[in-house]
Amino acid sequence: MNFKEVAKRAETGPLMEANDFLMQRVAANVVKLQKEYDVRWDGKTLVNLDDDLADRCWAAGKELLLTSGLYSMNSRRVIEFSPEEVEHALRFAPSRLTMGEGKDVITIHHRDVEDSRLPFVFSGPFNADTHEDMFVKLNEAFAQERIIDCLFLPGYLKELDGLMIRPNSGLSSRAAVLYGQWSREAVRRAGRPGMPICGHAVMALNEIACTNEAWGLRQTDPRAMVFISELQVDDVTLTRLAYYAAYGCPLYLGFTPLVGGYGGGPDGTAIVAAASFVAGAVLGFEICHIGPQHLKYKQQTNNHSLFLGSLANQATNRNSHIITTTSHTTAGRPGSDQYPYEFSALALSVVPSGSNVSGPRPAEPLGFNNVSPLMARLFAEVAQAAAGMNREKAALIVEQLYEKYKDKIEFKEAPKGQPFEELYDVDTLRPTPEHQATYERVREELIRLGVPLA
Amino acid sequence: MATAEEIYAKMQVSIEDYDRDAAVAAAQEAVAAGLDPLVAVESGFAQPIRKLGEAFDRMEIFLPQLVMAADAMKAGMDVLEEAMKAGGGALENKGVVVLGTVEGDIHDIGKTVVGAMLQANGYEVHDLGVEVPSTRFIQAAQEAGADVIAMSALLSTTMLFQRDVVELLRNKGLAEKHFVIVGGAPVTQAWADEIGANAYARDAVEAVKVLDGRRGEWAK
Repeated sequence: MNFKEVAKRAETGPLMEANDFLMQRVAANVVKLQKEYDVRWDGKTLVNLDDDLADRCWAAGKELLLTSGLYSMNSRRVIEFSPEEVEHALRFAPSRLTMGEGKDVITIHHRDVEDSRLPFVFSGPFNADTHEDMFVKLNEAFAQERIIDCLFLPGYLKELDGLMIRPNSGLSSRAAVLYGQWSREAVRRAGRPGMPICGHAVMALNEIACTNEAWGLRQTDPRAMVFISELQVDDVTLTRLAYYAAYGCPLYLGFTPLVGGYGGGPDGTAIVAAASFVAGAVLGFEICHIGPQHLKYKQQTNNHSLFLGSLANQATNRNSHIITTTSHTTAGRPGSDQYPYEFSALALSVVPSGSNVSGPRPAEPLGFNNVSPLMARLFAEVAQAAAGMNREKAALIVEQLYEKYKDKIEFKEAPKGQPFEELYDVDTLRPTPEHQATYERVREELIRLGVPLA
Repeated sequence: MATAEEIYAKMQVSIEDYDRDAAVAAAQEAVAAGLDPLVAVESGFAQPIRKLGEAFDRMEIFLPQLVMAADAMKAGMDVLEEAMKAGGGALENKGVVVLGTVEGDIHDIGKTVVGAMLQANGYEVHDLGVEVPSTRFIQAAQEAGADVIAMSALLSTTMLFQRDVVELLRNKGLAEKHFVIVGGAPVTQAWADEIGANAYARDAVEAVKVLDGRRGEWAK
């Protein structure tokens, strides 16, 4: 849909309170559609194997968007869509997209369920809080991992010049500019000057200040925007969408359907997720990222989120050519064995479900620099190894991995791990022998479990 | 006329069914029957809402059900409150909480869950919504005579507004008047300690436990 029409409907659609939208439109319709389309979780399955369930989930999701619409949080109006508009948007949604520049140009594809094509790998600090003195080094260490296709969300500068950054402040604008400059410098240092950088500099409108063809994020860099759970969008996102669409950037949408929230359980929330994929396509987003969240566990590798991720991706990838990707957040942190076990389980769940991959990173609360480029390499290797794997085989491995960490997904029990500067020699940008040993050990274990990494 | 036990049973069912109208009707019946509103609250509403809170924690019910149950209970409580006022009394709540998501942060759900759980556990909750300016928290707390200011921040970039509210309270000489509890995905006990908040809670269940357990520090 033309952005002009989206903007117009955000000002003219039905006026209602947010709570009424969430309760009367989203929650009530999910209950009704879940029953009508018989979208149910059996309480055990981690990776969906039921194609018919996926198709019903897709149909329910499309209907949810048509009956609920998308809530414009600032105008308090509902952006509504007709069936014809939805079908038109799905028909013309891109199935491939090129990003980056020069010899670093790369293409992301829509993937089918059990597709043998390699998933596209978005990886980087994933907007973990990053110290200013570590920003370039950390991102260079990610960019030097050639298996990573796009540097992903190079890290929030929470503090600058010794001060915490207030959203929308001058300091925040300076942080956005530095984010652009330092991200570009990092990929240059890694010898990949045109490597695409998927950016989201600060959580405010001045995020746009990181954009510059010479020193910052470019037209060829995907720009990340987010929906708020569930099916809500704010003026900041709509404004950024207007700008980046006009500028010609690849448009990357993130949304975080919340198990336990207005969608209910993992099955109802999968319907919300399918609706969010459709909404993304209708608004013109070209890459749609699901981050399956959980009200209780706050991370994405619990049993509910594993199932949700697999079902929503299968629903979308079987029935559309939307380019999907899935984020991977964990309870365990880099430096622990649990961290790779968790992201491997989710990657093995969603890649055979047709998704590309984004991540990994530990869930909040998180200290500074708490991510690992070496673990990103392993994440990418696992994701690529899952290409072409059938869901039955993947499910067996996921079940074994889940057993390894399921009792430690509460924040209190999860291993706390170490930050980048303890896992790497920050002068050579090489992992410490201990961290390398963790990589080797877990990699061997994944091979033993049946992940074809060798 | 229905017996007290029958009326309490209707009140319980209204909460279990998330039925606002039924909760109001049952409360009106309790008033008409001359039942003690305080006993009616405990025997009719409190028990099922506590059970629903526990079911929510076990993920057996979800946010919409919790919100509807809390809403039904509030509607019924309003009827009983009116009756108490008419008799010159007042329906006691555990405490008054002013709640919101801080400035620059549009995330609603975590805060809403905390509000519903507090309400379900007998607190009077004033939900200020999202993107609440720091001064608004204090103004609302003063207006409501709040015991507690509860602030959520989902983003590491908006946490600093929790600090600002605590600092403003100190600067205005109101730090002793309002107990400040903070939460949200990036928030930790260490952050609460650093900014001088009175307490931290990781989630809604913990928020109730913390406020119940530390009642002596904030109850007037």
